[in-house]
Amino acid sequence: MPRRSPRKKLKDRIRPRLKEGAAWFGIFIAAMIVGGFLFTWSGLYSVAATSGHWPGFGLFLEFGMRSSVRTHTIGIAVPPLHDAALIERGAGHFQEGCMPCHGAPGRAPNPIAHETLPEAPDLVASVPTWEPEELFWIIKQGLKYTGMPGWAAQQRDDEIWAVVAFLRQLPALDAGEYQALASLDVRDQAVSDEVLAQSGPPGVGLATCSRCHGLDGQARASGAYPRLDIQTSEYLFAQLAAYDDGTRQSGIMAPIVAEFDEAELRQLADYYAASGVAAADDADAASESESDPAVLEIGRALVIEGLPDEGIPACISCHGDNPAARSPLYPALAGQHASYIAQQLMLFRSGARRATPAAEIMAVIAERLTPAQIDAVSAYLSGLQPGAMSETAP
Amino acid sequence: METLQSTMHPAGTDAAAIAQLSWVLFVGGGLVFAVVMGLTAIASLGAERRRRFLSERKFIVIAGAILPAIVLTALLVYGLTLTGTRIAIAEADALRIEVTGEQWWWRVRYPDSGGDIITANEIRIPADRPIELTLLSADVIHSFWVPNLAGKIDMIPGTVNRLTLRATQPGEYRGQCAEFCGGPHALMAFHVVALEPAAFDIWLAAQREPAASPETALQQEGADLFVASGCGGCHSIRGTAAIGTIGPDLTHVGGRLTIAAATLPADAASFARWIRDNQYIKPNNLMPPFGTLSDDELAALGAYLEHLK
Repeated sequence: MPRRSPRKKLKDRIRPRLKEGAAWFGIFIAAMIVGGFLFTWSGLYSVAATSGHWPGFGLFLEFGMRSSVRTHTIGIAVPPLHDAALIERGAGHFQEGCMPCHGAPGRAPNPIAHETLPEAPDLVASVPTWEPEELFWIIKQGLKYTGMPGWAAQQRDDEIWAVVAFLRQLPALDAGEYQALASLDVRDQAVSDEVLAQSGPPGVGLATCSRCHGLDGQARASGAYPRLDIQTSEYLFAQLAAYDDGTRQSGIMAPIVAEFDEAELRQLADYYAASGVAAADDADAASESESDPAVLEIGRALVIEGLPDEGIPACISCHGDNPAARSPLYPALAGQHASYIAQQLMLFRSGARRATPAAEIMAVIAERLTPAQIDAVSAYLSGLQPGAMSETAP
Repeated sequence: METLQSTMHPAGTDAAAIAQLSWVLFVGGGLVFAVVMGLTAIASLGAERRRRFLSERKFIVIAGAILPAIVLTALLVYGLTLTGTRIAIAEADALRIEVTGEQWWWRVRYPDSGGDIITANEIRIPADRPIELTLLSADVIHSFWVPNLAGKIDMIPGTVNRLTLRATQPGEYRGQCAEFCGGPHALMAFHVVALEPAAFDIWLAAQREPAASPETALQQEGADLFVASGCGGCHSIRGTAAIGTIGPDLTHVGGRLTIAAATLPADAASFARWIRDNQYIKPNNLMPPFGTLSDDELAALGAYLEHLK
């Protein structure tokens, strides 16, 4: 008992002081809230982008942003980013979606972008300060209060990684290399001008489309973008309409399609469908067919015969050569680029592309394919000449 | 229709034997139950003399051990004899039919009938002739059961099971998968149609023929859509370019009672509904829904398929 009483006394002495301190702290917090609200209500703080930040406050915001990105990217696995098709796909979008604010090698940003707060950073300098998964997260989610938007198709992680793959190359590019990556037909500028002049109403749209798909619709040999010359006008327009209404999701195509009205989209579809496949670039086709014969045989069997025991019908039963005997909603596949076919089959398989009725059909089939089968089918189809699928049928 | 799928209304020799065994067991079991209840009543409420008799060792040994052993042994021998002779003893003039359980339908082949006769979800047989069914599975365990005609037997992947049956009179009998096989198992039924022998021969001869050609413009449009939509990737229509083997053979689908494993009647309207809305009608079935087709196109396909008698 003699030992307990001093302790009790100590407790009795401290408790009232604690209570007093807590009360003052409460009053302080309440004053802060009321004062902060009154300050905000008064409008004395300027939200003008031109007014800049208080000294040091910009650094503090930067610290907050970097910390948030670092924490939110924990656990994101980075896929391989060295594929040429992936880099080209990212470059094509960069020119359309990123360059206007961020600029590019040889291209100053739009002056409007200089007047944002914060100013969109020069990516040549800032990309090396971020990890790939951090770039992915920023592109996908955007950054609050900066003007950096999130990705327009949240289910298309594959497209976002393509932009990351390109960004990783960006700091080392000179102006010419950037142009070559971002715009397919720059090397034939004279030809381009001539065709654009001839093509009439779709001219402006064609300038946009042809950067990636080419004026001849054959796109790049890497398969970064699909060939359009082998498709019918009905099929191409259905895809453009699906990008427009969001049933086919793409953060690359949707912003481009949004720039055109329905009549213009029909003209563009007509242009590419009529561009004809006669001018096929043999050198490109040959480079794609250098695959393992065993793999090509697996692909051939799936394309021509299917795999009935696994519930996989032959590709040719829906995607045959004759457009008159094929649903206008089914694409031609013979001669399409392998990388594009594989990418789309993986999207069907994962459920990221199944919002249109035709995609719903393909998704059911693609779910039954293994990644190895997808690669085999893609390699085989890309090695065919357009319209030559049925020549290999028994 | 209450007798369409019922063990209590046998229409085949095997089902009759099973029904007979059931009745023997029901009546015998009822008698035993009545006697035991009676003895229980006596043991509880009866006169002192009777209660003492029931508690004697001699009564307990005879009525509690010896009598049940004799009755149960007799029933076992009777039951085994009756049912044992029903399995896998093919008679010389038996008609062989191969039935494969697939998720979630039935592939039916007539291997000895000349030509490549493959149908689905419907087994036509001649009445009063022994039938030997070869039962296979393409994927998981299914169970073949037509209660009016025969007992139930599993279809096991990698194993060939056999079942013999004989329909004593013409008629339609419903069967169904009696082993849970995933997803729409509940919509995996079929019909056995027993015909007079002459009518069966006519039917079989018609089945050997390739599919009927379209006769009207609407049917022709349906036939073209069938090709253009890729239906032939999974379905066969003999005599056309459609050679798929993944789904049911449709060569004479218009002549069947039902489609989708006894889920819908085989008429134009049902074909149209099924092609577009099959995932609502039979969720998780393996056919993709063809929402790409307009109402008019579906009507044309329906008209064509209904025409394939």
